[in-house]
Amino acid sequence: MQKLLSTAGVVGLVTVLTVTGCSSGTSGTSGANGGKVTLNMVESLTAPDRTVLLKSQIMEFEKVNPKITVNLISPPTQSADQKIQQMLQSKNGIDVLEVRDLTAGSFSTNGWLYDMTNDLHSWNGWNDLTAAAQQGGMVKDKSYFVPYGFYLTSLFYRKDLVKQAGFAGAPHSWSDVLKQATAINDPSKHMYGYAFRGAKHSDIDLAGTMIPAYIGNKLDVTNNFKMKDGSTIFSAPEARDAVNTYVQLFKKASPSSAIAWGYPEQVQGFTSGTVGFMLQSQEVIAAIDKSTVVKQDQWATTPMPVGPTGVAPRALGSAGWGVAQSSTNKADAMKLVEYLTTGARTIGFAKSNFMVPNVKSAANDPFFSTGHWAAFTAMEKDPATYPLVKEPGQVSWWTDWQQKADTDIQNLLIGKLSADTMLSGWDKYWTDKWKNAG
Amino acid sequence: MLRKARRSEVRLPGNGRRTGSGTAMSRRRSFTIRRAWTIVGFLTPAAIFVFVFTYYPMLSGSQMAFRNWNLNDLTNTDWVGFSNFAAVFTSPSFWTALGNSVLWVIGSLIPQFVIGFAIALLLQRKFVLRGVYQSLIFFPWAISGFLIGILFRWMFNGEFGVVNDLMLKAHLIHAPVPWLADPSSAMTAIIIANVWYGVTFFTIMILAALQSVPNELYEAAAMDGAGKARVLFNVTVPYIRTTLALTVLLRVIWIFNFPDIIYGMTGGGPAGQTDIVTTYMIKFTQEGDYGRASAVGLIVMFMLLIFASFYLMATRRGKEA
Repeated sequence: MQKLLSTAGVVGLVTVLTVTGCSSGTSGTSGANGGKVTLNMVESLTAPDRTVLLKSQIMEFEKVNPKITVNLISPPTQSADQKIQQMLQSKNGIDVLEVRDLTAGSFSTNGWLYDMTNDLHSWNGWNDLTAAAQQGGMVKDKSYFVPYGFYLTSLFYRKDLVKQAGFAGAPHSWSDVLKQATAINDPSKHMYGYAFRGAKHSDIDLAGTMIPAYIGNKLDVTNNFKMKDGSTIFSAPEARDAVNTYVQLFKKASPSSAIAWGYPEQVQGFTSGTVGFMLQSQEVIAAIDKSTVVKQDQWATTPMPVGPTGVAPRALGSAGWGVAQSSTNKADAMKLVEYLTTGARTIGFAKSNFMVPNVKSAANDPFFSTGHWAAFTAMEKDPATYPLVKEPGQVSWWTDWQQKADTDIQNLLIGKLSADTMLSGWDKYWTDKWKNAG
Repeated sequence: MLRKARRSEVRLPGNGRRTGSGTAMSRRRSFTIRRAWTIVGFLTPAAIFVFVFTYYPMLSGSQMAFRNWNLNDLTNTDWVGFSNFAAVFTSPSFWTALGNSVLWVIGSLIPQFVIGFAIALLLQRKFVLRGVYQSLIFFPWAISGFLIGILFRWMFNGEFGVVNDLMLKAHLIHAPVPWLADPSSAMTAIIIANVWYGVTFFTIMILAALQSVPNELYEAAAMDGAGKARVLFNVTVPYIRTTLALTVLLRVIWIFNFPDIIYGMTGGGPAGQTDIVTTYMIKFTQEGDYGRASAVGLIVMFMLLIFASFYLMATRRGKEA
């Protein structure tokens, strides 16, 4: 009896201790055994093809560094950032991680990311990084990650539909987009002008793209929510004009159900041949290429539409690899980060994910100047019309802002909120936040 | 006269009164004393598991409700008293979500119960391929709620959805309905999805309960000349009343706490008009504001505790009456 009891007790205790991680074994961020190191690496923007490519690059790294083994963790994209947050908070189980411009601010504020500034300045690959890549991983003048590329937004359009509607070519300005999309829009034929995004992250199109385009050169390029005089862009009269165009685009050229459209519906709308225009980042090229309805010669990309001032400020979304502050193998982790963000590897990664490359050596690669990359080349060659600006996505209240903006925009579209009330609310929100943040 | 059946009135073969009670009781007592430590030994790991994985996280999470706990900035996690609760109660969005929660529970529960009961009655009869049909009926319960939400989101899509397509072909509508774009139709759509999902649970529970009703009761009712409706309401329902009450209680709590379908279908939109309290809470976690999310979580827990207490008291009184 006593034997039975003691056995049951020991089994129970061991099981609990094992599951709760209280045992004194060798589990942890990484294990060092006989000079061998295991690095735990977590990706955030997980996609099947991308993970395969990443694994092949990691295998090459392991061949060059036989004492290092990399354990790649690939959580589903929807919950990846939350999982990474939890891992970082527990200060356990993570060495290298995917950091995005949207997460860098909060992660670094909480002291979860390793400041790699000194390591990068003594690194051979630093000088080959483009200026955008050198600055892209910085928060408050400290480097917390190395971008592997940038997400570029272009206007995708149906050449055949534009021609049928009687227009000579792609739209240049937002008023052109409204005009052409309205002409294409014909609900009776199940055809719509614009792939309007009314649901999650609708703020990207209105607050992040259209209003800055209407503000033009009065914009502070270091913060595209701010005017040069320090006020918010939402307080400017031009913002009201931008909102009007935006609402017209919804009412005259988009399906009414687009209030509930997010990223998947936008892409589905374009690939199913239901809409004429879509503002999206270049990675959707892969999905459009697979479309059996829209053929290669029916669509193209064109630079982002300009506002009334003839300017279309563009903020590049970035993501890259960083090192956890809690990692006990920072030197080896840095080796992996540097390996993945240099040379042919990073160019190959950018090509397969349709991203703007992070290295200067990609400048002469014809891949990035032909075909569907023509819009990118056109914007790069004309920085006066398409100036690079920075979005304040690294502030700690960014996710709060996105939730607020999404709700307000939907209220605007269903007529429960006026444009003036929405803009004055946004103006107060950002003014107060900046004031409180000092 | 046919009276309502009670379990206590049923005497099944072999269930007669016990005899030799003194010997049996002492045997039971010696059994209890001898095995007590063994039972404790086997229960302890489970108790530790429940404490570690249920009560500890609950207590640990509860303290966040009284602190400034924002994952985006953990440099200041001071105690803030009841300010998170005050912020929740003064927000109009919370009251919208609470109203929607009530609509969501009632709108889902009643059709789930009625349809589930009807299917259970049908499945009780013997017919060809009954086993296959039962498996198909139970299938939705095995699917993730979030996945169901995504499936229904596409089905109810205004432009590409199968619902509009079928309705147009059947000439029930003349133009596509923007189901998820309009607040009232979006609520209807999410409730339809939840009814489809939840009917299964009622079917499973009621079918199991129906199979426990002794045939003797039906035979007696038949001899008394009771019709089908009379048998249903005077024999079947009273006999399985305890199961029905507990099933309804469980479903109310689960539906109230079930944001998966809504999150997958509308994300609480348009403009928070399909938010229930738990999707409202999820939004705070997405913002990293775990302090306010925990406050909402505690509010939900207390509301459900109060509801469960009143419900159980009411059903017990009903039973005694």
